[in-house]
Amino acid sequence: MNIVSNFYLSRILGRKILYTKDGSVIGRIADLIVDRSFKRPKVVAVKLRSGIILDSSLIEIAKEKGQYVFYCTEIRDINLNRDNLLYLAKNIQDRQIVDMDGHKVVRVNDVRLAVVKDGTYMIAVDVGLEGLLRRLGFAKPLKVLLKRFGKNIPSRLILWDDVEAVDAGHSGIKLTKESAKIATMHPSDLADIIEDLDNNSQATLFASLDEEKAADVLEEMEPESQKHIIDSLSIEKAADVLEKMPSDEAADLLDVLSDDVAEEILGEMDKESSKEVRDLMEYPDDTVGSLMSADFVSFKSSMSVGEVLGSLRGAKPEMDEIFYLYVLNERGRLIATVSLRDLVVSEPDVLIKDIMNTSFIYVYDDDPLDSIAEIVSKYNLLAVPVLDKKHVMQGIVVINDVVFSLLQRRKRRI
Amino acid sequence: MPAKTKNNSFLRNVLIFLSILGPGIITGSVDNDVGGIYTYSAAGAQFGYSLVWTLIPAAIVLFVVQEMNARMGIVTGKGLADLIRENAGVRTTFVIFVFLLIADIMNTTTEFAGVAGSTEIFGVSKYISVPLTAFIIWLIVVKGNYKFAEKIFLIFSLALLVYIVAAIMAKPDWSSLGSSIIHPTMKLDFPTVSTVIGLIGTTIAPWMQFYMQSSVIEKGLKLKDYKYTIIDIVTGCVATIVVAMFIMVACGSTIYHAGGNIVLNDAKDVALALQPLAGALASQVFAFGLFIASIFSATILPVATAFYVCEAFGFEAGIDKTWKEAPQFYWLYTAIVIIGAGIVLLPSAPLFGIALWSQRINGILLPVVLICMILIINKKDVMGKYVNKPVQNIICWVTVTLLVGLSLILLVTSLI
Repeated sequence: MNIVSNFYLSRILGRKILYTKDGSVIGRIADLIVDRSFKRPKVVAVKLRSGIILDSSLIEIAKEKGQYVFYCTEIRDINLNRDNLLYLAKNIQDRQIVDMDGHKVVRVNDVRLAVVKDGTYMIAVDVGLEGLLRRLGFAKPLKVLLKRFGKNIPSRLILWDDVEAVDAGHSGIKLTKESAKIATMHPSDLADIIEDLDNNSQATLFASLDEEKAADVLEEMEPESQKHIIDSLSIEKAADVLEKMPSDEAADLLDVLSDDVAEEILGEMDKESSKEVRDLMEYPDDTVGSLMSADFVSFKSSMSVGEVLGSLRGAKPEMDEIFYLYVLNERGRLIATVSLRDLVVSEPDVLIKDIMNTSFIYVYDDDPLDSIAEIVSKYNLLAVPVLDKKHVMQGIVVINDVVFSLLQRRKRRI
Repeated sequence: MPAKTKNNSFLRNVLIFLSILGPGIITGSVDNDVGGIYTYSAAGAQFGYSLVWTLIPAAIVLFVVQEMNARMGIVTGKGLADLIRENAGVRTTFVIFVFLLIADIMNTTTEFAGVAGSTEIFGVSKYISVPLTAFIIWLIVVKGNYKFAEKIFLIFSLALLVYIVAAIMAKPDWSSLGSSIIHPTMKLDFPTVSTVIGLIGTTIAPWMQFYMQSSVIEKGLKLKDYKYTIIDIVTGCVATIVVAMFIMVACGSTIYHAGGNIVLNDAKDVALALQPLAGALASQVFAFGLFIASIFSATILPVATAFYVCEAFGFEAGIDKTWKEAPQFYWLYTAIVIIGAGIVLLPSAPLFGIALWSQRINGILLPVVLICMILIINKKDVMGKYVNKPVQNIICWVTVTLLVGLSLILLVTSLI
């Protein structure tokens, strides 16, 4: 079961609502009812084909096998005698949009909604070809077909902020901005609009976009806004969006974020994309940095051999990481190394600083790759620590990786 | 003096009526397009006066449908395509869109074929007449405003009355014409039944509904104008069947008596057949009527189609708009005119096949449109208190059922 963060109205009309208790079908969705007295129209009730109106706060939406499924925890009547209500299928979908002078502009093909923590909101109206084809049921097959030719169906959304429903039902929907400005909305325009919004609505709006579009929009934004948006998204969603972005853009974006967040997002991304991004994020291809691994074992010089062995037993590091142990000072600078052999042969109560080796071999992260092969073979090392120019330890390069990289290069040369 | 006031109010009513008349007369008259003229001629040529009576039910059917369109347009202020999109959804709208576009391009081609045929009778090559008329009707719609276009259309409608002249020149037998209307008879064999179906079926084409309703809106008619609009529609229906009747009479008085060896493949053949039977002038008058009918419907058809598409997808539309205000409307109009006229100029265009298929597609489309109309006109949240009353509903349903049945029979028989 996947969490749904956004959906199109047309994709949920006619779907079943199941009773959580016993899985029985309560009915099929005929319409969504929104309340306009909120800053953005909030879904307050769901109308079923049978005419029953359910309180939407008792309904959850999920996606199973590519289809939306709704679960209702409790069948309770809702009192809807407020004036500010709009029926999305009846009053919005298929309605005429007019500009500020009353000229016809286009019709609403679909409605985009976003699911956030405190409810479901109407975000934008879809006036593009994609929305029309979606309604006709052609959008998906056509998308698959066009993808082969590297093309996409143009989609156009108008933010609900730029729109007001006039006299629900009769005259249709009126734009509140110059139509020429809105009608040609493109991801980059959308990006400008999102940047204008306050942080909270930015997030809501962004959640309403699909990953492709979100990626397009994010690319166009300023770094500061990018950061806000990513911070507001769940790690999963952020990872999905970043996967769709060119890896260099994604790398730039992740550079702006705090390291743990970036690392979390990278972890959530699929391996291929995250590796690409990582490589690009830090180092050029031909430097030591691109080869290094960030996983290594480090200790303080004041610890005893027994303590270190104890913590190794707990952490169970990989074989590759345990050839050498590194001794760092408070600032993370490398001050010495300890080989596994030295550690094992020492008495438990001996302190690390008494057995550590302060004259060690190291490389800088921006050294050329070629240098590392020489060092590894010359000093007969299994792993080499990588430092930045301030001698802060960045990672290690393991002999396996060096060999692998050499083989790769030789293959390319042949 | 009371008499004077009465006189004044009568005069005022006439003036109001004259200012309101238009949509009904135009839509009715356009009904007598090239296909219609051919159908009436063939019926007259084959059956003489005996099927003239069928024009009376045809006129009633025409009135019922047009009244629904006028009422929907006046009450909602929306075109038929608007209402279909908003009430019947995207899929129905899209199906109509596809069929209407194809049928109307084909239909427009047939109308331009009528232009070509009728001007050739006057010895003008179609390579001159077709591009020229296409350009003129393009100018009328694109450069003119609604009022100007409507005046031209009304002149066209009036000009169609030349068929009365053509019929008189054919020296009809008035008493047998009168008795055949008063005592309708009909043989129940296949050629007769299929001709009757054709006569009533040709009365209503799907695109007419879209033009009628959109023009009611573009003219800005309001509820207070409704009663005058009814007169407009009645006038249109009467004018339409009068023209149709005299076409049948012209052929029934001449070609019918000449025996069955005259083959009529299209409307132009009728004019040619009249030449030896009623004289060159009668033939030319007939051809002139055909020419007017052709350019008239070659104008209205693309307009109706452009109206439908723009309303369905929510674009600005209307003859009163400028190209900049309603680009989609004018591009569509232009494209259909150019394609229609272009096909006629192709040396070996399959015009007969095009005419046949446009008729078949219309036969498929008409039930969809009419059923949408009758369902929408019964919706309280659309029509308010102007929904069909029970009696109106019975009349409308009977009419719609009849038309749907006829067009389906026509469709099936044309496919066998």
